[in-house]
Amino acid sequence: MDIIVAENIRKKFKLKNGQKVKNNGVVSDEVEALSGFNLKIRKGEFLVLVGPSGSGKSVFLDLVSGLSAPTGGVIYLDGKPVQAPSAKTGYVFQQYALFPWRTALSNVECGLEAKGVPKDERVRIARELLSLFGLSDFEDRFPYQLSGGMQQRVSIARALATKPEVLLMDEPFAALDAQTREILQNELIRIWEGTDTTVIFVTHSIDEAVFLADRVAVVTARPGRIKELIEIDLPRPRTGEIRSSTEFARNRHKVWLALKSEVSKAEQYTKLATGFAG
Amino acid sequence: MDLDHKGLNGQIINDQIMNKNITDRFQWKDRLLGLILPVALLFAWQGLVNLKLYSDLILVPPLKVVGTLVYLAGTGELTTHILISLQRVLTGFLIGASSGFLLGLLMGLSATINRSLGPFIKALKQVPEFAWMPMIILVFGMDELAKDVFIAIGAFYPMVFNTYQGVSGVPHKYQELARVFDFKNIRFLQKVVLPSALPSILTGLRLSIGLSWMFVVGAELFGTESGIGYMMYSGREMFQIDVVIAGLVVIGAIGFIMNALLKVVENRVLVWNVSVEGGQG
Repeated sequence: MDIIVAENIRKKFKLKNGQKVKNNGVVSDEVEALSGFNLKIRKGEFLVLVGPSGSGKSVFLDLVSGLSAPTGGVIYLDGKPVQAPSAKTGYVFQQYALFPWRTALSNVECGLEAKGVPKDERVRIARELLSLFGLSDFEDRFPYQLSGGMQQRVSIARALATKPEVLLMDEPFAALDAQTREILQNELIRIWEGTDTTVIFVTHSIDEAVFLADRVAVVTARPGRIKELIEIDLPRPRTGEIRSSTEFARNRHKVWLALKSEVSKAEQYTKLATGFAG
Repeated sequence: MDLDHKGLNGQIINDQIMNKNITDRFQWKDRLLGLILPVALLFAWQGLVNLKLYSDLILVPPLKVVGTLVYLAGTGELTTHILISLQRVLTGFLIGASSGFLLGLLMGLSATINRSLGPFIKALKQVPEFAWMPMIILVFGMDELAKDVFIAIGAFYPMVFNTYQGVSGVPHKYQELARVFDFKNIRFLQKVVLPSALPSILTGLRLSIGLSWMFVVGAELFGTESGIGYMMYSGREMFQIDVVIAGLVVIGAIGFIMNALLKVVENRVLVWNVSVEGGQG
C-alpha cells in the first residue's frame, strides 16, 4: 500500500531581485527545482533519495511536510492532499535543529506540547526515547553541551515522539564525522526496524543510502525528477558488518552507476549558472 | 549503545568544565589589571595635593572625600539621597522600558507596524536626551512626574531597539520548527519568539537601566531637594568639592554594581546560551 503518492510535481523558486540563472541557454529569474516528479512510497518502507546537489531532494521533503506548497501537481499522504504541516509527519533537519534554550528532554517534548499531552506523559515519552538513544544521562543538558552526534540523536528522538506515520530526514548525519555517522546509522536502523514508520531520507552518501534503504530513488540533476528506483536486496535486520559484504558492494555499484551521469550533468550546470546554490 | 562512546562524551563535558575554571582564573587577573589605572590616579591626585599648588578648597585631598563619604553615610543623608534617586530610576525605568518592550515586540512581529513607526522612532532618537528637558518642564512642570518622564525617555530607546532586533531576528530555522511542531499565536510567541529574543531583550534591559541611572542625575538638576544629583548640585553651590566628588564616586559605584548584578542575572537566565559563558560585562 502506498502511503505517499507524488503526482507530476513541479516546484519553481523566484530568485532574488536582479539574480538570473541560465537554463539551457534561456536566461530567467526563476529556478525550477522539481519538474515531472512522480514517486509512490510504500507504507513502512525506508526510502532514500540520492541525487546531485541542487536536484531538489530537500525541496521534496518540504513539500511532503507541508512546509511549502508545490507550484504544480499534488502530494497525497494517506490519500489526502498535503496542505499544511501535520502530526502525521516528523521532520529531522540537518543542523541547528534543536531549540538551544531547551534541555535535551524538553526538546523531545516539543511536538507533544501543541497536541495537549499532559506534562507527566510528555516527560515519560521523552525519557523513553532518550534512553532508546542512550542519552538518559544527558536529559538536562542544553544543546551546546552535547556533541553533534548527540544533538542529532535528540533531534531524531524529538521527531519520533509524536509517533509520526512518516519521518522525513534531510541529510541528518551530513555534518557529523565518519565514525559518529556510522554509529548513528546503526542506531537509526536498529530503532527503525522495530517500528512501522515510513522514512524518507535524503543524503549525498551512496554508502549511507545503501546501508539504510529498502529502495533508493535516484533524482536527476535540476530540475529534479526520479531517474531510477533501485531495490536494495540486503537482508534485515542489518548491522554494521553488512557494509563489508560483497552484496553491499554490488548494490552500491548499482546506485553509483545511476547517479554518475547525473552528477556530471549537475556539475556542468553549476559551471554555467554560478550564483545558485539550491 | 556502547559505553565507550558515552564515556568519551562525559570526558568532553568534564573538559569543558575544567576549561571554564581556567578562564575564570584568567578573568581575576584581568580584573586586577583594571585596578591599576584608578590606583595610579589616586596616587597622582595625592601627589598633586602634596605639591600644594592649589588651595585645599579647590584640590581636596582624596582622604577628605573618603571622610565626607563616611560622614554623609553616618548621618543617613547619603542613604536617603541614594534611595530617593533609586526610586526615581525605578519608576522612570518601568515606564520607559515596558513601553519600549511592547513597542519593540509589536514592531518585531509586524512588518507593517515597523514600517509605520520605525522611521519616526529612529528620528526621535536623534534628539539628545537633555534637549527634551525644556519641553518636559513646559508640559509636566518641575515635579516628580517630569523626572519620571525624563528618565523614561532615556530608558525607552535601548529597550525598543533591542527588543525589535531580537524579535525580528528569530532565525528562519526556528520559525520552520515552530510550524513543524504546530506552535501558533501565543504558543509561538511564548515558546519560540521570546526565548530566541531573550539575549537581545536582556541586553536592552541592562542598557536601559544604565541610562536611567545616568539620567536621574540630570533629572535632579531642577525642582527637587533630594536625590544624589541634588546632593551634588547643592555641594557645588556651597563650594563643597568633596561632596561633589563623593557624589561622583557613589554614582559610578552604584552604576557599576547594578551592571554587574544584571550581568549575573543575565548569565543565570541564559545558561543555555553558549556566547554568554565567560562573557564580560
